[in-house]
This record gives sequence, structure tokens and C-alpha cells, in this order.
Amino acid sequence: MQQRLRRKARSLLEQGQVDWIIGFEPGSLRFTTTPLITKDKDDTDRLVVGSFIVNNLSNFLIELSGRVAIVAKGCDSRSIVSLIQDNKVNREDIVILGVPCPGIIDLSKVEGLVARDRDEIDDIARQDGVVSVRVGGQQREFPAGQVLFDNCLGCELPTPKEYDILLGEATSPIGEPTASQETLARLKDMPPDERWRFWQQEFGRCIRCYACRNVCPACFCKRCFVEESEPQWLLPMPRWQDNLIFQAIRNIHVAGRCTDCGECERACPVNIPLRSLTRDMYDIVADLFQFKSGMDIAAAPLLTAYEVEEAEDLIR
Amino acid sequence: MAQDLEWEPRLLGLLCKWCSYAGADLAGTSRKKYPANIRIIKVPCSGRIDPLFILKALHLGFDGVLVSGCHPGDCHYQTGNYRARRRIALTKRFLEGMGIDRRRLQASWVSASEGVKFADVVSQVVKELKEIGPNKLFVGERNSDATEAQAKG
Repeated sequence: MQQRLRRKARSLLEQGQVDWIIGFEPGSLRFTTTPLITKDKDDTDRLVVGSFIVNNLSNFLIELSGRVAIVAKGCDSRSIVSLIQDNKVNREDIVILGVPCPGIIDLSKVEGLVARDRDEIDDIARQDGVVSVRVGGQQREFPAGQVLFDNCLGCELPTPKEYDILLGEATSPIGEPTASQETLARLKDMPPDERWRFWQQEFGRCIRCYACRNVCPACFCKRCFVEESEPQWLLPMPRWQDNLIFQAIRNIHVAGRCTDCGECERACPVNIPLRSLTRDMYDIVADLFQFKSGMDIAAAPLLTAYEVEEAEDLIR
Repeated sequence: MAQDLEWEPRLLGLLCKWCSYAGADLAGTSRKKYPANIRIIKVPCSGRIDPLFILKALHLGFDGVLVSGCHPGDCHYQTGNYRARRRIALTKRFLEGMGIDRRRLQASWVSASEGVKFADVVSQVVKELKEIGPNKLFVGERNSDATEAQAKG
């Protein structure tokens, strides 16, 4: 798959079919990858795919001009479709190099299971549903469900539906219970004021670095409401009240575009369980409007479309 | 304690200029009685209402927010209220998920001829707000905006 990707990327650049390639290259730390954005065909030899291509690269699409080829897992392809629906990018200007993805390995889960730091792990290999970790000369095996990212467990689209070139065999969803859904269920069982206190405490830790917003492919406003000064909706200093409003409104603003890809939660330096919010909104949108972000390229964006009769029971 | 006994909810009304605001006007000119707890902001269309306005109002210490626009099909701009409906519906559900009582965000369709309905809606909403009590959601240390607003009353 990797060889095919490199050949394909090289020929796309050589033939002038695209101006840019967006993909992954090995990161400076072991078992990590970092985005590779290049115009140089020789760089394509560094492209990688595999179990560690964590990031959702669709965010870079709106920053580049010209024609772009982009490596996309199932979830990334949904974000790309969402950007197309919102007219942020033209379908004709992008070449989607689809990667069927059986799930991405969460390194911190592996570290926890073997009780070792990533530097001390010799090898991590995946064979279908089993991940084997070689550490200190010992081989240990874990079911994939134990080491994959939480959002991968509930993945609905492992193989991109919208692509130009598919770089492998289609895979099927894993369909295991996710921690974010468990947290959500636990929150739903609480009385409302207890729920509020939970979020109050979580957002008390927020440092308002805006990493969640900057990494989010659905957050593409040139000017964010938190930075407006006339009127100044929120103060920039990290008080829990302002932090909570920022995140709640961010979630409402990206409703129908958020694919629950999990980038915000991964980017969060203080580990706020943001996916319990994104997941809630995702479920609400599905329940009220039978809409799933980034699944249907022909669908109109959720918040610009309407049905004549819907959601009336909430209104007097 | 004495303050609690005197407590009256403060309700923010975000009313569309074409229907609900005119409806509120009609309630006034036809001498319909409704609680004076509502403070009204006129918006060009219910579709103008960003959910941010709602949370900001709660942050400032309002006990509830009433969003009101034209009946479906009657929007001056054809589709503004349909879009507002989607936004309000998911805002309401989402905020409830975070722990905000769903009765704090209310929505209604009131046309320019429905002065009576406007008075009824406000009375009902204020009654519900009295049941749930004061909004203490954002009260806490370092929340100068809300405490300031509450001090002003």
C-alpha cells in the first residue's frame, strides 16, 4: 500500500495533475508520523501509511491553493466531504488518495498496557485483530480493541466512500463500545446540576490555548467569535465560565460538520473529554435531522438546509 | 432570604422584527396583561440568532431566553425561521446535555396578529422560570460579568 502510494504521488506531481501532496512521513519520535506537505516529487519517497497515521489532514486543504492530492482515512474523507459541502474546497481541485483504515493505534494505551515508555518498546505490529508488542525481548499480544483510539472503536466509515484512488482493500467497522459513549451515558444518568458541575470542573482546567479549534477541520472561520472585540463576547482569560461557553458554542457552530474524528480531544493539553461533547452533538444531529456529517457529498450542509416540518415539538 | 422571597425571574426575549416584535406591540396596544419580567431585543429575523446570544444571556444572569419568530412559512426572508428552528432545536438538546434546564431556553412562533398568544407565551414561560428558580449556572469566583449584572438587577 505504501509503495503504491509513493508511486502514485510521484506520478501525480510529475504529470502536473496536482500542485501539492498532503500525506504523512515518519515523525522524529518512534511510532509517530508527522504531516508531509510538499511540491517536490522526491519527497514522496518519505510518504508512509500504517497504524500510526493519526492526524486528520483535511485541515490543510483550505490553506493551500492549487490542486492538491491528499491521503485520507475514512474519517478524514468525511471531513473532506464536509468541506466540499460547505464550498470551502472544490471537488475538482482535490485528488483523494483513500486509505482503508482498520483503526489507528493509540500509543499511550500501548504504553499503559506494557507499563513502559514508548522509547523502551522495540516494535509494534498489527496482524488483523491482534496487535503484538515486542518489549524487552518479550512478545506480547493484545486484541486491537484494547489499543486503538477511542474514536476508531466506534468508526462508521473505515474505508473512504469518496475517493479518486483507493490504496487497498476495503475494511469493515470495528464496532466496539467507546469510552466517550460510556462517559456520555454516565453523564446522562446524573441529575442536570451534577452534569453541570462535571463540565464546570473540566473547563476549570482549560487554558484556552485554542488547540481544539485550530486542529479542527470543521472550524474554518477566518475570525472566531472568541476573538471579536465589538462586542467582546468572551474574555480571553481562562475562567471556567468563558471556557465552557467557548466550547459549547464551538460545538454548536460545527454541528453537522463535526465527524467526531477526535482531533480536538487528542490536541487538548489538559485532557478535557471533549469527545463526550462532540459525540453528544453528533447523536443529537442524527436523532433530530437524520444527518451524518460527511457521509453524503450531495447533501446540503445541515444548518443551511431545512425540512418544512421538523423539530416542532420544541416550539410553542 | 428576603431577596429570595422577592425574586422575580428575568427573561430575555429575542424577537423577530416582522412578526413577534409586532405581536408584542399588539399585546401592548390591545392592553393585554403579561408579566413585566421580559426584556426585549429586536432582531431582524429569528435566523439572525446565534446560539451564542443565548448562552451569553445566561452568562450575564438572565434566568431564561425566549426566542420568537414568524410561523413556519411566514418568514419575511422565506427561510430564516426554518434555519433558526434547526439551530434552536439542537442548541436546546445540547445545552440540556451539558446540564442546563431545558426550560431556560424557550422558543415560540408568534405572528404580528397574535398579541394574545404573545401575552400567553410570556406568562407561561415566566411561570416555568419561577418553578426552576434563579439562574445560578455561572455564579462563581472570578465571574465579574455576571455578578456585576446581578448587582445592577
